[in-house]
Amino acid sequence: MPVLLVVVLLAALVVLAAACGSSTSTSSSPSAAATTSSGVLPSPTAGSSITVVYHYPAPPKSVLDQFTAQTGVKVNWVEVGWDNLQTKIATAATSNTYFADLTDVDWSKVGQYYKTKWFMPLNPYFDAAALKADMPQIDTFASNGQQLALPFDSSFTVTTLNTKIAKAAGVTGTPANLTDYTNALKQIKAKGAVPNPLDIPFAAAEGLSTYWYQLTAAYGGQVLDASYAPQFTAPSSAGYKALQWMVDAYKSGLVPKANIGMADYQGFTSEMAPGRVASVFSDYSGSVGSIYDVPSSSKVVGQVQYIPTPGVSGPAPNLSNPDGVGIPKTAKNVAGALAFIKWFTDTQQQAIWAGLNGSSDVISGFPLPARVSSLQLLAQGNKVSGASELMTLLGSSRAEFPGPGAPPWYSQFSNAVYTNIHQAAAGAETVQQAVTNIATEVNQLKASQ
Amino acid sequence: MSGERTPTGRKRPRKRGRFLPYILLSPLVLFIGALALYPTILTTVQAFFTVNPMDPPTRFSGLANFRALFHNSFVRQSAANTVLYIVVGVGLSTLFGLGIALVLQRRSRWRGVVLALVVLPWALPAVVESVIWGWIYDPTFGVLNSVLKSLGLINSDHVWIGIGRIVSIVLIELVQVWQITPLAALLILAALQSIPQELYEAARVDGAGRWEMFRRVTLPLVRPGLAVAMVESLILSLNVFDQVYVLNGFAPGGASIMMQTYQISFNNLNFGQGYALSLLATFATMLLSLLILAVVYRRVEF
Amino acid sequence: MRGHSGARRVSRALLITLILVWSAFPIYWALNTSFTTLNGAQSVPAHFMPSPFTAQNYKTLLNSSGGVGNQFWRSFLNATIESGLATVLTVVIALFAAYAFARLEFRGKRIILVAVLATLLLPVYATLIPLYRIMSSVHLVNTYPGIILVYTSGFLPLAIWIMYNYFASVPRELEEAAFVDGATPVMTLWRVMIPVSLPGIAATAIIVFLMGWAQFIFPLVLSSDLTTQPVTVVVAALYGQRIVPFTLLNAVGVLAAALPGVIALVLNRYIVQGVMAGSIK
Repeated sequence: MPVLLVVVLLAALVVLAAACGSSTSTSSSPSAAATTSSGVLPSPTAGSSITVVYHYPAPPKSVLDQFTAQTGVKVNWVEVGWDNLQTKIATAATSNTYFADLTDVDWSKVGQYYKTKWFMPLNPYFDAAALKADMPQIDTFASNGQQLALPFDSSFTVTTLNTKIAKAAGVTGTPANLTDYTNALKQIKAKGAVPNPLDIPFAAAEGLSTYWYQLTAAYGGQVLDASYAPQFTAPSSAGYKALQWMVDAYKSGLVPKANIGMADYQGFTSEMAPGRVASVFSDYSGSVGSIYDVPSSSKVVGQVQYIPTPGVSGPAPNLSNPDGVGIPKTAKNVAGALAFIKWFTDTQQQAIWAGLNGSSDVISGFPLPARVSSLQLLAQGNKVSGASELMTLLGSSRAEFPGPGAPPWYSQFSNAVYTNIHQAAAGAETVQQAVTNIATEVNQLKASQ
Repeated sequence: MSGERTPTGRKRPRKRGRFLPYILLSPLVLFIGALALYPTILTTVQAFFTVNPMDPPTRFSGLANFRALFHNSFVRQSAANTVLYIVVGVGLSTLFGLGIALVLQRRSRWRGVVLALVVLPWALPAVVESVIWGWIYDPTFGVLNSVLKSLGLINSDHVWIGIGRIVSIVLIELVQVWQITPLAALLILAALQSIPQELYEAARVDGAGRWEMFRRVTLPLVRPGLAVAMVESLILSLNVFDQVYVLNGFAPGGASIMMQTYQISFNNLNFGQGYALSLLATFATMLLSLLILAVVYRRVEF
Repeated sequence: MRGHSGARRVSRALLITLILVWSAFPIYWALNTSFTTLNGAQSVPAHFMPSPFTAQNYKTLLNSSGGVGNQFWRSFLNATIESGLATVLTVVIALFAAYAFARLEFRGKRIILVAVLATLLLPVYATLIPLYRIMSSVHLVNTYPGIILVYTSGFLPLAIWIMYNYFASVPRELEEAAFVDGATPVMTLWRVMIPVSLPGIAATAIIVFLMGWAQFIFPLVLSSDLTTQPVTVVVAALYGQRIVPFTLLNAVGVLAAALPGVIALVLNRYIVQGVMAGSIK
């Protein structure tokens, strides 16, 4: 059995190697200390190239060529869907392989990335304190003093309303608070033209979690406190009431039954854009400009507006959920990547992605620039629908987890949130059970860290 | 080139020929060793370790992963779901496969064409099929609701996937059944065609009717084919992933074991637990396959 | 078994129609949806023929300079190359191995054969992450060779099984004749076994190619961009993407199904024989 013997011996050697080896990299990561930034970036090598892997389509080639002309660095932009991208980031990092010089840093992963050290701190190169005034959401991408990414856009949740449908149903004016809003929806439903006027994405996906956080903020609370303890277990708490409201909305028919399987963007494009629902309580900033007012994919052009998110006693704060761009620890062309971050996030470019130079130079689906100065440019040129409202809302937006930022175990937390809310809407759990399950999971996660 | 000849004229195998089998096998052994065996051993070993980038370093942890899996209600739920996936998958594909094989036993002009169409679902990627079926199931615009409504069987648009757990699982598995039935049909057809006609003749002479012939001749003698078809379907339905990924996403109501493994490994980054779950699934596959073979298979010789 | 009575023929025809509808309906529906506009597809009640009829979706896809079109064609090319080369490699290796198993005697034969076939029982996930780590340590992630090697290792057991059965069923007299003429085992393989088993080899090749084309989970993890992503990954991504007109999606599905579909329809004979031969013990 010579062949078999050799195979078995090899296997045994391998077992030993596997047991002794570590699967996580303990290689040195870049300086973890928060240092003051010199603001000076290393010069990139002319003729080098960087790979940007992101979940948005590439900017037009002509615009990228301008970057190449300025810095000598070629850009290879790869678009990968968000879920797929998160998997890739994880697999590349855990196997310590190169896959990009720049990629997405989701606001919810910052805590996790701080712990796993997958991204290079940008503190030596960018002065976060100085940038904060113009980039209000820059804090979202810092954890324990380490700036792990810069904001790529300034997405935050907003409430959208199809005013044409609302007026036709006799709803006058803008709902001032949550009660008014709920009544308005009921009125639209009663009139019959839009039998299920509200869009809530009840698919077991991230969009459902975000919706709940926004509703909790509308009820005047937060889901977790600064030490990540659950704040939603008491029936009188904001989070509990918010969950109850969502489930009631589904069960009473305010939300289309089919939404049990619908994710956030699917809801926008297949319900709000064709005018089948009248409102999205937790929409994303920029959807009017990039979805509802786009004639080729929307039947409600000009009908949808941003309204202040109705809270229990007046306008509620809007929660920011921006996308960030960061440098993975396995990046090869750090200088090129830094140059790109600087270029990509500067005032002019950010406005261009959103439409300053017309639609030929936009990034398709780009929500809103990360910089207030860019928004001002756009508002002046009247280039983005609802720009002035958005500017106001951006100014008053806050992070979901102000202070400590998203916990390192955010993925599991969000998973528990969206699966339990989904189950509650589907009738497989009661609201009380859902709340208990989520709280149990939170406490387990806190204990294990 | 020719070796020495023995007195009877037959060639004695040359010394070099003794190594030939190993030479011929070496690429295979290399591949399977490096890319199948080694990874499996790695998985098996690391199932007993804590492998989690959020919880470094990798260290031995005995049965901790397994215990955590048993206590995880979502894992338990996905196991229960998978049992249903298997029952529906094996049951329907074998039933339909048997039916198709029986109908197509007879050679006819049309058999080639029909076979070609029957095999078609098996040749297409599961992801593509899921997208197509997803559109058929769509609550608002899907043709399923459309047809049912025009037949008067339902009044309003029914949401097929996401509300009723059992209905969702059955319908998602139906997509996989659509894909694997051709395989079952072919395997059973092969077994059917190896049954000699004389046995049927003998039964007919004994006065057996069609149903009797089926029960006494066909069913017993087709058991080897049935067993293989069922084991194939078992493996495929236990590992169902593509259809669940596309049609169900991460909802726990329809999650399968493989979907759960994917979530644990890539969403939670708990690779150790992911390995442990894969290991459990492998054992389950082996056990259930052996069970099916023991119960259904029967050595048949003609 | 020889009923020719009218009732029997009618019921048989009905059954065959049922089978055909079951097999072909979803594909027909995808075609129907893809040749119409979004409004036409979303009309209630559903139209059974595309109305209005438009080939715009296909024009969009065939325009390889546009975003979706480019994604589609590049991934189509990737799938064909990866699956094609993996098929060649698999068939060659399986050929040699199956011949050794079927015709040569040597120590360890049973065990190796059983071990190889036992890997058919492995769930995909048993090997996914370790394979990713192996491939990345030799810098083969997101390259054709890396993916082809992974595919080959996965398809070998099945390929060997099919070819083993084919070789085992070749009458020994043919080889005896060759032996008497002084041929070595290798020459026998080349001059006798392979020509006689061409249908079986073709069947193996076709089945392996189709399996390669349908791969999803592995390229999902091993392929990070369009350099190597096959069609299945692109289709799934488009399904989950932001703005997805179902008409375009069905058109993508139809085109993605076109190559394996045509192969299955035209070369059906080989597939059927291959699978059926593999089930004869």
